[in-house]
Amino acid sequence: MMVPIRCFSCGKPIGHLWEDYKARAAKGEDRKKIMDDLGLKRYCCRAQFLGHIDLIDDIGKFKKN
Amino acid sequence: MKLEIIHSDKQNASFVLSGASPAYVNTLRRLVINKVPAMAIEEVTFEENGSALYDEILSHRLGLLPLHTDLKSYNLPSKCKCKGAGCARCQVKMTINKTGPCIVYAESIKSKDPEITPVYPKMPLVKLFEGQILKAEMTAQLGEGKDHIKFSPGIVFFQGYPQFKIKESKDAKECVEVCPKKILKLDGKKLKVTDEAKCDLCMACVDACPEAIQVSGSNEDFIVTLESWGQLSAKQVLTTAMELFDEELDALEEEIKDIK
Repeated sequence: MMVPIRCFSCGKPIGHLWEDYKARAAKGEDRKKIMDDLGLKRYCCRAQFLGHIDLIDDIGKFKKN
Repeated sequence: MKLEIIHSDKQNASFVLSGASPAYVNTLRRLVINKVPAMAIEEVTFEENGSALYDEILSHRLGLLPLHTDLKSYNLPSKCKCKGAGCARCQVKMTINKTGPCIVYAESIKSKDPEITPVYPKMPLVKLFEGQILKAEMTAQLGEGKDHIKFSPGIVFFQGYPQFKIKESKDAKECVEVCPKKILKLDGKKLKVTDEAKCDLCMACVDACPEAIQVSGSNEDFIVTLESWGQLSAKQVLTTAMELFDEELDALEEEIKDIK
């Protein structure tokens, strides 16, 4: 769905880093390097980024107004 | 007790605390996580939520937003003069009003107090599509991490200062290669540690060659790392934790007086 506001495990706020990460990853940059640049040191926060898929574009279509 | 700073900036601090005990450092850790107050949104009233996220999920996301905290101007609701009823000294009202299509960021939240705003303005809250409206009113207040982790101002962790016992061995070379932090060096036949404080006691070198090296964490000296989530600066977090510790000890002293 939407990117988590905070890391599930450690609680670090990570939501604001997602769009930057997504744009850079789409350009083909190495994900390790992006995460290092963004200051994601622990593997809990890094896993949030590696595993996240934005689903709201698909799910939003089925919402009735 | 001696304190030597390894690294410090506005949000992060790491230091070596020597001559302490694990219980003492853990007290500091638990005070920061559980007792140092921080601002967070506690109540959300939705007037209209046309987004694909349920009210509950969206209000949970709003709650987790770190807010700039001013500990001098605000009281914990339980310690406020209004006795938790809610007044200008313990509550801040906020509103959000957005119409799609757009991504709603934390910066769209309008706060009654210009000091209490989201720390990270570019946090995406929800995506609105054509015709979807989000209209809500929120109440932010101070709280403690023991009640909800959203009120926690940061995270503290510590490890014993690494101690090395090095002996000459033929297989010492393997230790150097296996160290993930690259802090071991071979000086002739003997191992040398270039940066002790960087070792995180992973024991990979000990597994590779127990004859050449033994590593253990000290029980008196500690490497303490503090990461603030942004509501307060790292220094504010630590000083507030110490003040709270003082208060708790004073309260205990007061209780003890009656013992004969």
